[in-house]
Amino acid sequence: MSEIISQAALRALAAEWISSARQVFGPTAINPHTVAYSPLNSADALLLEGFVHPANSIKEVVFPRHEVLYGYRIEGNSVELLDDHAPLPEQIVIAARPCDAAALPILDRVFNWDFADEFYNRRRAATTVITLACNTADESCFCTSVGLGPDSERGSDVLLFDLGDQFYEVRCLTEKGHALFRGKTETADRTAMAVSAPPKKFDPQVIRSFVIEHFEDAFWKDHALACVGCGICAYTCPTCHCFDIVDAGPSAGNARVRTWDSCQFPIFTAHASGHNPRASQSSRQRQRILHKFAIYPDKFGEILCTGCGNCTRNCPEGLGVLSLAMEIDRG
Amino acid sequence: MSETSVFEPKIVAYVCNWCTYLGADLAGTTRLEYPPNVRIIRLPCTGRIDFNLLVKGFEIGADAVLVSGCHPGDCHYTAGNYHARRRWILFRELLDTLGFDLRRIHFTWISAAEGKKWQQMVTEITEETRKLGPYTDLYANGPAPALPALDCASGEARTLDAEPELREYSRNLLAEGTVKVVVGYGAHGPVIVTRPEDAERLVWNNRCRPNLTAYLKRKEIKALGKPAVVVKPCDEKSLVVLERESQIDRNEIHVIGMACEGVGEPKCASCEDRTPRDADKSFGAAVASATPASAQPNRLAALMAMTSRERMAFWSAQFERCVKCFACRQVCPMCYCERCIVDKSRPITIDPASSTKGNFAWQIARAFHLAGRCVGCGECSRACPAGIDLGLLNIALHKAGSEHFGYEPGADALGKPLIGAFSLQDQEDFIH
Repeated sequence: MSEIISQAALRALAAEWISSARQVFGPTAINPHTVAYSPLNSADALLLEGFVHPANSIKEVVFPRHEVLYGYRIEGNSVELLDDHAPLPEQIVIAARPCDAAALPILDRVFNWDFADEFYNRRRAATTVITLACNTADESCFCTSVGLGPDSERGSDVLLFDLGDQFYEVRCLTEKGHALFRGKTETADRTAMAVSAPPKKFDPQVIRSFVIEHFEDAFWKDHALACVGCGICAYTCPTCHCFDIVDAGPSAGNARVRTWDSCQFPIFTAHASGHNPRASQSSRQRQRILHKFAIYPDKFGEILCTGCGNCTRNCPEGLGVLSLAMEIDRG
Repeated sequence: MSETSVFEPKIVAYVCNWCTYLGADLAGTTRLEYPPNVRIIRLPCTGRIDFNLLVKGFEIGADAVLVSGCHPGDCHYTAGNYHARRRWILFRELLDTLGFDLRRIHFTWISAAEGKKWQQMVTEITEETRKLGPYTDLYANGPAPALPALDCASGEARTLDAEPELREYSRNLLAEGTVKVVVGYGAHGPVIVTRPEDAERLVWNNRCRPNLTAYLKRKEIKALGKPAVVVKPCDEKSLVVLERESQIDRNEIHVIGMACEGVGEPKCASCEDRTPRDADKSFGAAVASATPASAQPNRLAALMAMTSRERMAFWSAQFERCVKCFACRQVCPMCYCERCIVDKSRPITIDPASSTKGNFAWQIARAFHLAGRCVGCGECSRACPAGIDLGLLNIALHKAGSEHFGYEPGADALGKPLIGAFSLQDQEDFIH
């Protein structure tokens, strides 16, 4: 026996959440060629099929692109700090991909490792994630290579399975998830068919060994030549979490602001002296692989990558983790 | 003081030190009365005004801005105001495209002797702005019509006949030492080939989208030695601009031109440049230019048919999605500055946050820095992960350059640049 919900009922539920002052996010078609997770003003905009992975990730729901940490007011010689964070609305993500949901527990560890990041934690606590298992994959998908799959439960509060006839099987995994769907589903005696998983494309242990043992290998230099050094891979990645903190002046409302940052930018590691320890694109690209397959795993015991394939899918020059990892794995 | 607040417009005036500032001073010493709503910012010359300052004025709460300098022919530095005039003509078009309210942007010539004119202008502008009310439309969201969609071809790549010749030629170039590196297309994106045996990795098909001339600026590529670069006829124009701007020595770059039947980008439907013009070696049979009938919908015309409020709402919705990954900058052959203005933090000229406001500031700077330089390769739009049609801003500036000055970027390696040059005959109808 399983719990199911019709697509119409799911949309009606989404509409109810939107109208109840909750902030609802989900995949939408922002133009005929691009699907992205966006804030939903209407349940009609929610896209539930016909795409593999949105061009962005759900991390901005818990880790916004820019976030005011506090404001300040300068008068004469005195500085007054202003902490006026309004209470957060409850946030619901609908139809997240399992690879995006799986990134949240990964981020939790970073933001609560030696210091509990209150700004992250308050958003995380206010967020419920309803994941939709994948029934398609494209050539950039590689969740199965990093220990996940198209029906992974990790990070999800609810996992939906498309039953193929405008119905979804609903598996509530947490109390938060139950709270949203309690009384909204019907019982049926059918469960989801097997989901389609992308083939395994590389062994992460091989990547880890290679990046540690061949740190100075010419491989890195050769493979970075086609990289133009933008931040697409890091910014569309569900797990990349580096940020910068700037004091935004009067035109930005006098505030200390946290903004996303990317290790692919030369300025990321530029020292005040002018020295840059990662002066070349190859060292920056290698750093990204090192962090994902060695540094984070050494600290937290798992890979900093969920195999969503966004870095490869979005890269204007066809690079990204997958192409590098496959090349390394082939030897 | 009364509790009911009467709207008092805030006007920021960016004025030239030598003329208008003295004119305003004269107005004061001759006891001419004018509204106190204007905040004067004194600058050495209108020719030195960074146009982001105008935008910044609005951002910090100005309801109108005024730029004022010396009359034509009267510049303290000979020609600063002529430079300014040309830039204003173009910048005004950019702001119009973005949906700024042009009724709030004023330009005047006021000399040191014209205290009376200063009084009149400030009075008029204050009254006009008072009628318009506070500038609440800045970066405001709201309803906006959708633009007609662009047709972007999908489907599998189809290998073209010239591919074997291209590989053979590239292999020989590397083997003979004519070049040290070939920047070309591979199966999944650009490939950088340095060994003759790797020339097999080169492909030529109808999905070879990137403009590879963007690699010529990268120091990692420069370090390899003399490059050969595979270009489509549209990309070739970038080389003309780069040469004129002394960024490349054309003799030190081997250009492999490919006749092109289109690579499935929106621009291809109306492309008139199908055959390379100035390559060191060309491949592929000549292809007929596209017929205008297959052209894409005119998105710029559709955008300009909106009201300015709708245009701003349109761009706000677009820029809300910008994550500031700077892919638009990195894939652009013309964005070659070693340090981009957005990376400078002392002072912060462009708000680094990827907020709607910070994104407007960034995209205004990017588009305007490309005025008269962008050859319309469309890489910015192609690369944008947020699906923002950034090229539309460049197209607007291209149109402005063409209409006002008959200027065609990438047409002439020896010609004068659009910005950085001026003519005494430059025409406008908005400077009072």
